[in-house]
Amino acid sequence: MIELEIGQEVEMEFGGKAKVLSVIGSGGQGIVYLVRFNGQKWALKWYDINKMAKPAAFRKNLQNNINDGPPSNKFLWPKYLTKEAEDGTFGYIMELKPDGFDSFVDILNTYKLEIDPLTGRAVKRPVKFNTLGAMVTCVINIVNAFRQLHRAGKSYQDLNDGGFFINVNTGAVLVCDCDNIAPDGSNFGIGGKPGYMAPEIVRGIAQPNVQTDKYSLAVVLFKLLFRGDPMEGEKVVRDVCLTESSELKHYGQNAVFVYDPNDDSNRPVRGIHDNIIKFWRIYPDYIKDAFIRSFTTGITDPSKRIIENEWQKLFIRLRSEIIQCGCGRTNFSSMFIHQNEKTFKCPKCGMEFVTIGFSNRDYRTPLYLGCKFYSCEIIPESDDFSAVAGELVENKLKPGVLGIKNCSDRQWKAKMPDGVFYDIAPGKGFPVWQGLEIDFGEVKAQI
Amino acid sequence: MSNEHVTEPEVNETQNVSPLDDFDTAETVSTAPVSDDSILDFDDDPLSATSVSKKSLVIFFLIDTSGSMKGKKMGELNTVMEELIPEIRRVGEADTEVKVAVLTFSTEVRWMYSTPIPIEDFEWARLRASGVTSMGAAFKELNHRMSRNSFLNSPSLSFAPVIFLMTDGYPSDDYKEGLRELQTNSWYKFGLKAALGIGQEANDNILAEFTGSKDTVVHAYSGGQLAQMIKIIAVTSSQIGSKSMTLSDDTNHELGEEDVFAAKQKLLGQQIQELVSTQTDGDDVPFDTGW
Repeated sequence: MIELEIGQEVEMEFGGKAKVLSVIGSGGQGIVYLVRFNGQKWALKWYDINKMAKPAAFRKNLQNNINDGPPSNKFLWPKYLTKEAEDGTFGYIMELKPDGFDSFVDILNTYKLEIDPLTGRAVKRPVKFNTLGAMVTCVINIVNAFRQLHRAGKSYQDLNDGGFFINVNTGAVLVCDCDNIAPDGSNFGIGGKPGYMAPEIVRGIAQPNVQTDKYSLAVVLFKLLFRGDPMEGEKVVRDVCLTESSELKHYGQNAVFVYDPNDDSNRPVRGIHDNIIKFWRIYPDYIKDAFIRSFTTGITDPSKRIIENEWQKLFIRLRSEIIQCGCGRTNFSSMFIHQNEKTFKCPKCGMEFVTIGFSNRDYRTPLYLGCKFYSCEIIPESDDFSAVAGELVENKLKPGVLGIKNCSDRQWKAKMPDGVFYDIAPGKGFPVWQGLEIDFGEVKAQI
Repeated sequence: MSNEHVTEPEVNETQNVSPLDDFDTAETVSTAPVSDDSILDFDDDPLSATSVSKKSLVIFFLIDTSGSMKGKKMGELNTVMEELIPEIRRVGEADTEVKVAVLTFSTEVRWMYSTPIPIEDFEWARLRASGVTSMGAAFKELNHRMSRNSFLNSPSLSFAPVIFLMTDGYPSDDYKEGLRELQTNSWYKFGLKAALGIGQEANDNILAEFTGSKDTVVHAYSGGQLAQMIKIIAVTSSQIGSKSMTLSDDTNHELGEEDVFAAKQKLLGQQIQELVSTQTDGDDVPFDTGW
């Protein structure tokens, strides 16, 4: 029973029946259906077990994952198994993708196709991040999800652009297709998607594991930020036709990063890889260096690949370096003029931005109306990158006076122009001035 | 500012390394660098991007429109092809731009459109049947168009094309000569080839000569089968064609070129055979009876 019929009922393992309502999509391992079960709508993934190497082991692993539960709420995790049909086929149900989420594929395409119900014609609807903050938040969320997964001792195995739903307004992320997730070291037959697979898998000398996940994660992040393939440059395009052997060469045996500083044989080609050329000029060095490391030494030595925690720190820094200028220009501080050690200047309107130095970082953070900092940035033991701890606001009673509001639940101390440190309770604030010093507890900050 | 970090890609315009095999590629990497050295003189909006560069896949349908296809066969074929287009739309995802080209052959050889059409914009123009079966001429025409200077002119990377032949009869011209010409074409060599014989008259041996193996040849004897087989072959081959190589499960040694050579064509053969064996639709009246 490879395909299910609309209206067909599938028995669930612990009783009840799921009724097939429609087809949602199909993938390499099976078909996903919309079903009704227990009065609620769910997604049912139904496997084509002919395409599976070890269906029994696969099912057992799925069962284990269901029992373990998701590592966090960022995963659309398998919920219940179906009974096995007579021929051994089976599936599982999971929650549906909530409204407001687009697939990563649509973001990479910059549009999605919607079928006009009347004419049946496909219409393109643009899909892009609403704000730079949402985009970087999305990157942090992706990295964090895989950090949680790997901490649980599991690997995703099949990390690729089909594995995420993203809210382009908030940067919220849902990891889907969680059915190949397995304890690190085991594999139930999935190899991965070309272009995302680590070179050692392409070459046939390794199976998916946590280290190969790290490579795939770097590809996902690169695609999201640079909008191109990190290994497809001049060297690859010269082959014209990507045959099996050129694939093996360019993604396995002789993979060369398009911006490998020591090998310029595979640079991006204008007219084909314009996105990468553009974004390589925009991102700051510490981001580019992390990708260079991932795709040069990280190709041959899996232990040199960037770990999730390191990515998370880099992208939290990147988020803190977004500047929203009053003139409407929003960009990373790397694209503002570094006027002097403590000031950035907008190249478009000339507006200047002071920076603040935190005792736990060796770089300074620009301040602008609306900028925020988060718990993890001021509390050393905090991993919370989404709780706003402080925000730069305008005093409601004194228009034009800018200050920092304590949005956290801890008491701070701030130095006022009279040279005295005052207590700043949660919900209160203090003006930003030349000699400002803040004491968050363990972390201090100074203009 | 970050002026000093700007890395200009070095695209060598004149040098032409001999490409893999003999895809006719004299002007492969010839995109002229645009001069935009001023840091503020380019679109630096970090949110504005174009779609990721896609690999191009052309699906060629070679369809016999000779007189013997008239009636139910052609009606069925037209209907299936119309229904098929939305199904193929999904296979490209973010990596592949799928295009379709349809070559019909009867007394004359004719393209449905003068150039391959992106699947999103493709509309099936209903075909009519009459005349004889000039299959050899169709092979020659295909050979002529499967070239960088003609239908396969995407500036970016391409996947090897999918070539799907459908016929219900014996060629009325010298198909062998046409096939010999076609077999010299690199796109054909690396392409994914499949064929469907319709009714009793179609000769599976000729079709296997075209595809290179029996695994990728199937036969339909009834209208229901015709619809199923066209869908199976078209969807499977475009899925495999647009995805590039997938790892086999039991590799314990480092893969070499010989391991991956024609891996997709083999995979296509396997999958077609698996799918065909699960679909038997015996209740339909065969094409060739009841006339």
